[in-house]
Amino acid sequence: MNVFSDIEIDALTEVFNVGAGRAALTLSEIIGEEVMLSVPSLKVLSSAEIFPSVLTGKDGKFATVSQVFSGPFTAEAVLLFTENYALEIVRDMMGSQMSIDDLAEFEQEAMSELGNIILNASLSAMADMFDISLNSSLPSYSISSPQDIADRFVDNGSDDNYVLVLHIDLVLEKHHTEGHLIFLLSSTSLSKLVAHVQQYLSNIL
Amino acid sequence: MSATNSSKHLLIVDDSKVSRMLIKAHILAVHADWIIREAATGDEALQMVQERQPDYCTMDVNMPGMLGTEAAELILVQYPEVRVVVFSANIQEAVQSRAQQMGAMFVSKPVTEKSIARALGFFTENA
Repeated sequence: MNVFSDIEIDALTEVFNVGAGRAALTLSEIIGEEVMLSVPSLKVLSSAEIFPSVLTGKDGKFATVSQVFSGPFTAEAVLLFTENYALEIVRDMMGSQMSIDDLAEFEQEAMSELGNIILNASLSAMADMFDISLNSSLPSYSISSPQDIADRFVDNGSDDNYVLVLHIDLVLEKHHTEGHLIFLLSSTSLSKLVAHVQQYLSNIL
Repeated sequence: MSATNSSKHLLIVDDSKVSRMLIKAHILAVHADWIIREAATGDEALQMVQERQPDYCTMDVNMPGMLGTEAAELILVQYPEVRVVVFSANIQEAVQSRAQQMGAMFVSKPVTEKSIARALGFFTENA
């Protein structure tokens, strides 16, 4: 899917890199240690392609946190973590002396907060760098199978919807946590996003 | 300082081409005579420093292969007179103190006129 040129993908990746850095700062302050971040990678797919490309080969369930962002463009941002890792992140956030059973009680709240931090950090970086203003809805949390997620993207989107898939690894202490950040945008919103990326690049190209 | 001073050499290390272009554009706007070279990885940077020692270096942290902080440390051990700015989106305390410990300055991304001004301040102070 060549909605963006290579240089535009590079610019957008850099925006999310700044966002992930902000998220890592907040997370490191919460869990009291350094969070290692991978180099982010980003691709644009049609909403029907999301299942084979992102969710294949994962038999477990995902913990998902989603928020709707609105401004010059509207996007639903969904953060996916594999479920077993999600509980470990919550344990890191709450303190490792808690048992997994006790933690399950806090999981929903803690994961929503984690998602809120990461999603808002990403979007605030975008708002600052593109000089726009974005509002967000409250985070909503659910445990979903890969099929549930694929169905949701297909249901929510008409045929011309796109997904921006950002892949980033967050590594906390001993746990290797893999997360995907997915943005669902209509073609109209995607065009507006492309225009903002082009404007951002216009000073240097 | 006079206009007859030889031009300074700056090495920009960043895996993002856009970041390298932004840094270069902001720096050339202030110092049009500087000679700027670019590397996309830590390994490439080390090789370029061996070929020609720069006066200044901006170093990203999260890059494919070696971390920028590792590359910066290797450069500074061999060439302590190079002024290195660790220019990163990873703004955690641990990264900032690693930069300071090796004698580099930490500047947080995004690349803007303001963040470049901080880097330039470090490059040219007492120079």
